[in-house]
Amino acid sequence: MLLDLHTHSVKSDDGRAKVENYCKWIRKKELPLDGFVLTEHRQYDAESDYRHLEDEYGLLILKASEVETDFGHVLVFGVNDELQAALDFRDVRLPIEHVLYQSHKAGAFAAPCHPGRKRVGLFSHYQEKGHVEGVHTVEVLNGGSIPGEDELSIEMAAKYGYKTFGGSDSHVVSRVGFCATDFPAQDIQDIDGLVNALEGGNFNAVSLRPTKED
Amino acid sequence: MSTIYKFAEVELGDELPNETPDVSMAKVTSFCTSAKHLFERFTDHEAAKKEGFPGAIVPGIMSQGLLAAMIHKWAPGCNIMSIDTVFRGSLLVDSNITMTGAVTDTDDDEMTAELDLSIIAEDGRTGVIGTAKVQFLS
Repeated sequence: MLLDLHTHSVKSDDGRAKVENYCKWIRKKELPLDGFVLTEHRQYDAESDYRHLEDEYGLLILKASEVETDFGHVLVFGVNDELQAALDFRDVRLPIEHVLYQSHKAGAFAAPCHPGRKRVGLFSHYQEKGHVEGVHTVEVLNGGSIPGEDELSIEMAAKYGYKTFGGSDSHVVSRVGFCATDFPAQDIQDIDGLVNALEGGNFNAVSLRPTKED
Repeated sequence: MSTIYKFAEVELGDELPNETPDVSMAKVTSFCTSAKHLFERFTDHEAAKKEGFPGAIVPGIMSQGLLAAMIHKWAPGCNIMSIDTVFRGSLLVDSNITMTGAVTDTDDDEMTAELDLSIIAEDGRTGVIGTAKVQFLS
């Protein structure tokens, strides 16, 4: 099962993609995605219901969050009431250890995204402050990365033994699916299934970036 | 893709031809002068560096104008009903930038199309993203 684990919709302050337009684009372009996860900035969108789009387009549409910590941005999958009570999602300087601990405690799965990016990436902080206990998985393929960033992410993830996944980090429709995560021989139906699959560790990052030949 | 003259020629998924606009210091200075938008961060590399930028930056209103020009080059007869841009990073004067666009939705009844827009900086970073809604008269 192939999922784009990192997308933003108009619910994010800098997102300009309508969720239905993501679906239309995926189908029109015949992208191999089975679904995508909306990881809105500094919030969890509890109210939006995309089940009608899932039915119409045959795609899995899940909701998660991208929070901001003192070690860069972190994706949190499986956000629930307990986690929302424990974390102020609007805080742009959340202590990463707190995010990792509270996510684990609440049954959610937290993983730093674009770790090879300056300032907002985990590994740029490692150079200054040392590594963080509790990190186990990082996004190593990000659709918004410039040359060198993903390479650094891959190198550092290998050094620390982290599991790796991919996401497009799309903020507009036409960037969805640039990077994704393959869950071989797994049938993920909902956010709990995604968290279980991530905990299981049988996944890998995939790049689907268009090439000049495309 | 060739130039679009009628709504019937527009299809979801179409990509606008990439454009590499001239953002040389001469062009940017000319724009700023015409727009009465003269600030040293746009027209003087050294002054921009003193403000913390890596060099002089392309004004946001010029970026948006360049995107609008790209749309009209693609579809000369369309009306731009709205254009919305998000500035995610600086675009440097005297650098090579690339503008892209794509059709992300169409409305047959209104003869409108929604577009994705972006400007990629020389280092590969996406400096500007945006959307536009355009309407065709026929």
